[in-house]
Amino acid sequence: MLEWIVRGLRKGVVTSRYPRAGEPELDGFRGRVEVVESDEASEALEAICPTSAIRVSAGRVSLDRGRCILCGACVEAAPERFRFSSAYETASRRRAGVVVGASVERQLEAVRVPLGVQARPLRRSIHIRHVDAGSDGAEEWEISALTNPYYDMQRLGLYFTLSPRHADVLLVTGGVTRSMEKPLERAYEVMPEPKAVVAAGTDACSGGFAAATGETAGGVDQILPVDVYVPGSPPSPIALLHGLLLAAGVVTEDGR
Amino acid sequence: MRLERAAADHAQRFLEGRFRGAIEPGPAGTTVLRLPVSAVDRAASLLAAEGARFVSVFVADVPERSLVAAFAFRGQLAALRAPLTEDGAAYPALSLHLPAAALAERELHDREGLTPLGHPNLRPVLRPDPDELEQRIVGGETFIIPYGPIRSGIFEAVQHVVETGGEDVLALETRPYFKHRRLEARLAGLEPAQGALLSERIAGIAAVAHATAFSQAVEAALAVEPPEQAHLWRIVHAELERVVNHLDVAMKLAEDAALAVGVARFGILKEDVMRLRARLCGSRFGRGVVVPGGIAFQPLLGTDELRDWLGSFERELVRDRRLLLRTSSFTDRLIGSGRLDRATVEALGGVGPVARAVGLSTDARFERPYAAYTRLGFDVVTAESGDAMARLEVRFGEIRESLHLIRQALDRLQRIGDASSMRVDLPGGEGGAFGWAEAPQGELVYWVEIAGGRIRRAHVSSPSLHNWPLFVASFRGDVLTDFSFIEHSFGLTAAGADR
Repeated sequence: MLEWIVRGLRKGVVTSRYPRAGEPELDGFRGRVEVVESDEASEALEAICPTSAIRVSAGRVSLDRGRCILCGACVEAAPERFRFSSAYETASRRRAGVVVGASVERQLEAVRVPLGVQARPLRRSIHIRHVDAGSDGAEEWEISALTNPYYDMQRLGLYFTLSPRHADVLLVTGGVTRSMEKPLERAYEVMPEPKAVVAAGTDACSGGFAAATGETAGGVDQILPVDVYVPGSPPSPIALLHGLLLAAGVVTEDGR
Repeated sequence: MRLERAAADHAQRFLEGRFRGAIEPGPAGTTVLRLPVSAVDRAASLLAAEGARFVSVFVADVPERSLVAAFAFRGQLAALRAPLTEDGAAYPALSLHLPAAALAERELHDREGLTPLGHPNLRPVLRPDPDELEQRIVGGETFIIPYGPIRSGIFEAVQHVVETGGEDVLALETRPYFKHRRLEARLAGLEPAQGALLSERIAGIAAVAHATAFSQAVEAALAVEPPEQAHLWRIVHAELERVVNHLDVAMKLAEDAALAVGVARFGILKEDVMRLRARLCGSRFGRGVVVPGGIAFQPLLGTDELRDWLGSFERELVRDRRLLLRTSSFTDRLIGSGRLDRATVEALGGVGPVARAVGLSTDARFERPYAAYTRLGFDVVTAESGDAMARLEVRFGEIRESLHLIRQALDRLQRIGDASSMRVDLPGGEGGAFGWAEAPQGELVYWVEIAGGRIRRAHVSSPSLHNWPLFVASFRGDVLTDFSFIEHSFGLTAAGADR
């Protein structure tokens, strides 16, 4: 056992300082897709996207990150309009907030600033229950990575709990398959008030690639009221942490 | 290798001798035998008696609507193809001779409406109701714990129905398909490049293996050969995926044993590989790299950078592995837990590290080498004792072999240089073919039909689905507190099984 302690200590501190300091971005990391140029676009752009995340209306492009699976088809086909950004933060408290494009970008900024203020005095004991409602399995890895020494979410007062009866936040992955509807609803019902629901991943936001089969509900918000949307396929641990901090703000905000 | 070739020759002779006139021309590595529907079960049991391992049973539309039963048969993929007539809605069940086919046939019954005659249990499987338990209580002193689909911890949704008298696990039933998303149906109609993106999302933690098996099926159907450089980069990504999956198992087992520093150490190693993959291709799961025809883009890291990283990673890993395997509070929980014997694994068609831990050298990279694996050297790591410890030892051995494979691939890539192309264009045309890859969980087989530049039909045979029945079979005298050790030692993914 002593050897383990020595082994642990030798590594030193590897923990991220997020959110007090920004997480250094990795070159080339596909964190999110940005819309660079949205004017005078043709509707042919919509056909590029395999998950119908791109919309063109009246010549303006918008991109729904809640549908985007970060495949890069648009970046490859129209690099003058779309580009990858290695930024991690993608979550929003409104479904429309994860849609980006020139016209919606301003509204998004307006949402972001007050949220930053709310999240700062978060309570130091937020308990999270994760429910898999039909993910591809990758989201679970990224969620469990939050407890590894790199992210160590306990330092922010965030904890996983085994029972929904002890949970403040329900962290849901997957587009909600039919078999998971009832268990998910039940988990939500037994949670004490105030409670928040975080939809983690593109599947949870919109049903993702699988939505077209009709085998899933097409997103968590079809079943439960969602407080925070974290797009990404899967979202990176920092993106999840950002989403959870937003949810933590919700809980302290007005005691809902 | 010579022994394997002799076995393959023997298999070929057997098939030609026994099924003369039934053999259809097909791509290399695949033998298709055309039979009437009524003879499928007999032919299947004949193959099984010769040592063939059941892979899958499904309906194909190429060259005509047929029932196809696929077997891994000594270096070949042997497929029994029985044309289905318009009104043909039944066939003799394979499960009577092959217990391994039981789940696949129930799925087929649900999905295609085909009835396997004589199948012992044809209750619907695809949309399980968590409240409707199938299990019956055998005695007055026992009770049932429905464990799942929402379980204690950050796990995928699957339900284990445990029958217990208090401490010992008397009977266990695992119910998959809570996450069934009908993704094979979703593949139909997509272009091949989009199909690869969807296949990566069938089992997110084995994205590279899924994209590779899918792409190789498309490439076989259209008879294209990707450039050598693409083959080698696919191997680099696939082996990194194997390493990170096996590290995840080690981390979860350490967590079960409440070995806090061990969890932290293996968590760090796992995160290091995830970050390396993000630097290599922009995705922490190696997504968007493998496409039909090759790989999508030039990797973002050079071979020298990768080799340096491998060196420092392996030094850390070796120390942590040595320490973990010397910690008796950890190993005591694994030795003897969830023991499987060879006969059970063979009967249920087990694959991957689970099968290799009972001494079977089942490995698609070795049995039916694909990509550039024929040109690289590696050992198929096996163990004998078949318990949770053996499975962990196999995984650690495979990590070592994977790092060795990556180094060989990098050497070859350096010699080739960046000059050659990464991807060939797909020609038009149509056809159907199998493609396979050894995922971290075991052998993964895709059947893909393509026509007019779009996928028409697809079927996925997932290693996790094959190994669930083995997980159930491994509880013999084990108690409830062994449950998580045994489950994690299997390293299965519900998303991959459910599809």
